[in-house]
Amino acid sequence: MRRLSPPPTSKLVIFVVIAFFLLWWVPFSHVLPEGFPLRFGTYRTFQGSMIAMWAIVALGLNILTGYNGQISLGHSAFVAIGGYTAAILMVDYGWPFWTTIIIGGLIAGGIGFLIGVPALRLTGPYLAIATLGLALATPQILKKYDGLTHGTQGINVRPEVPASPDFIEDWFGIKLSNDEWIYFLALFIALLMLVLALNIVRSRVGRAFVAIRDSEIAAQAMGISVPRYKIIAFGISAFYGGIAGGTYAQVVGYVSPESFNFLLSINFLTTIVVGGLASILGSVLGATGLIVVPELPGIVSFIPGAGLPDELSWAFYGAALILVMIFAPYGLAGLFHRLVRVGPARVAGVLTPVQGAWLSWRERRRAPPASPGQTGAGSEDRSSGDQPGTE
Amino acid sequence: MEEFWQQVVTGIATGSVYGLLALAIVLIYRSTSVLNFAQGEMAMLTTFVAWSILQWGEYWVMFPLVLVIAAGMGAFIERVIIRPVEGAPVLNIIIVTLGMFAILNNVATWRWGGIPKGFPAPPEIEVTGIRFMGEGALDIGPTVVSYHDLTILVFAVAIMVALYVFFQYTPLGLAMRATAQNPVASRLMGIRVGRMLTVGWALSATVGAVAGLLIAPLILLQPPMMMGVLLFAFAAAVLGGLDSPVGAVVGGLIIGVSENLVGTYTPKEWLGPDMKLTVTLLIIVVVLLIRPTGIFGRRAMRRV
Repeated sequence: MRRLSPPPTSKLVIFVVIAFFLLWWVPFSHVLPEGFPLRFGTYRTFQGSMIAMWAIVALGLNILTGYNGQISLGHSAFVAIGGYTAAILMVDYGWPFWTTIIIGGLIAGGIGFLIGVPALRLTGPYLAIATLGLALATPQILKKYDGLTHGTQGINVRPEVPASPDFIEDWFGIKLSNDEWIYFLALFIALLMLVLALNIVRSRVGRAFVAIRDSEIAAQAMGISVPRYKIIAFGISAFYGGIAGGTYAQVVGYVSPESFNFLLSINFLTTIVVGGLASILGSVLGATGLIVVPELPGIVSFIPGAGLPDELSWAFYGAALILVMIFAPYGLAGLFHRLVRVGPARVAGVLTPVQGAWLSWRERRRAPPASPGQTGAGSEDRSSGDQPGTE
Repeated sequence: MEEFWQQVVTGIATGSVYGLLALAIVLIYRSTSVLNFAQGEMAMLTTFVAWSILQWGEYWVMFPLVLVIAAGMGAFIERVIIRPVEGAPVLNIIIVTLGMFAILNNVATWRWGGIPKGFPAPPEIEVTGIRFMGEGALDIGPTVVSYHDLTILVFAVAIMVALYVFFQYTPLGLAMRATAQNPVASRLMGIRVGRMLTVGWALSATVGAVAGLLIAPLILLQPPMMMGVLLFAFAAAVLGGLDSPVGAVVGGLIIGVSENLVGTYTPKEWLGPDMKLTVTLLIIVVVLLIRPTGIFGRRAMRRV
């Protein structure tokens, strides 16, 4: 086994993510002149904000599930805690928005630590179903104790959500709409959390997470305190969920018990598996995929003769999930790594066997002379690239 | 006291349905370590097929026909959709079952529409003067129990016993257990491992189809009907131990009964019916903390 090229560095990841979000924003911004063909309006801006928010949850869940190996189907609960903390503090107590996001994250993180303790006893599907219970109970609890949570009607945060401040106009000469300001706010928070995640997974703590995931016994033998780091992973992951919840309250402007039902949790898990487990980039790609793919049938249907009937859009989404899992078992990030390494044509299987053989010959020439694991054509893109690891 | 028994009896009936679907989940989990999130939707789809067959056929003509169709569907899904991801990480396969969930649910809505339909309970049968199934209720002393509830319980227990005998004493059942325990060694012993997995899915889909046919009369036939049932079935399977068919049924019964009792006997102001789901889930978590692999589950032994 050998690497043909180093995995994308964190700088590349950050660059890709920033470029992606800027490219997302430009066509939909109102900065473009009136009548410009690519002006799609604010809905896409809102969607971009949602991607940023989902990416935050996915980063946190990936730290827990991808890097540490604990499956959680309860993350909608942490997002709910963050969202409700932000909403209650902003609406009922008039706190500034940014403090409420931080406090929401801290409260969710604290509860995550507490839940991490009993979670130590459970593994695999047992942990998954127990945490699913958390997700199922959340809407009921929010409805029942309505003295604090305003009950089934939810909380309207919209009047408290910050407008674009003046300094943006002073500095850049652009007057952002409220949606766009929130978009950049969400993007800023997501980037902050992304850099934090990159640092966590490459630190001592992150390596301990991975060691525990791969073998608890080996990790213990290396002197890692397994329970301590598993609880820390839960806490960090829940903290991410809480921050995402606070962001959600700003982006959507409304929280209600039904915004945080168990399907959300299942979608979060789908996000990180489709994006790529144990991959920071995968968390962002997965979030994008999950927000955008369900809408693709609608987008495609502009082309005459193409597109599915509207009532089959969910089936399309299901089929997309299955196809990704069959053809990209390491998720979209695995696919991305392969594209970077062997080029799009090779991945798509476009090259003829002759060209493929030539490529592998060339790669073999470049390899260090003594590499006994080398078996020839086609073997390297299977063995070297897609392993989920730390990046 | 009468209210108590009434709650227990209806709890046992709904619990039996959870147990039946949990059995189906356990069948797949035992052989492949996969939680099948599409289990409920597979049952829902076969129940819709049953509804279509009932438009021109008798109930007892439809029943075996639907079981055969369900088995075929289970085998088809395993061969076509699950086989390509065989050997992939478990989470990947779970996502594939979630994809199937979306497809099956959507196809059912598209083909049969979202309007709830009534579905008949199994009609009355009389064997040597004793009445089985059908309408009405039976007085059993402290309370009455509807014939349909009894039917569900009898089916759940019968299927559980049948599966036990199947896995314990038949060559095919033994081969399937061997496959679940050690696929490589089984293959070396001449067992066709792939075929065993197909049979496992077919069997599971059949058991799930029975669960769908029996619960549809209680909760109208409609595409989202199995979602809640599936979650309780997962909880039941986990509570009983994911590799134990007996545990699945027992877990289902415990959940059905405790759900009813919590709803009736806890203080209304801060718990009560609104919180019965939450409290039931809490009970499950507490049980799991004491026995992390469920009541009947074997502790996972791992070689280091």
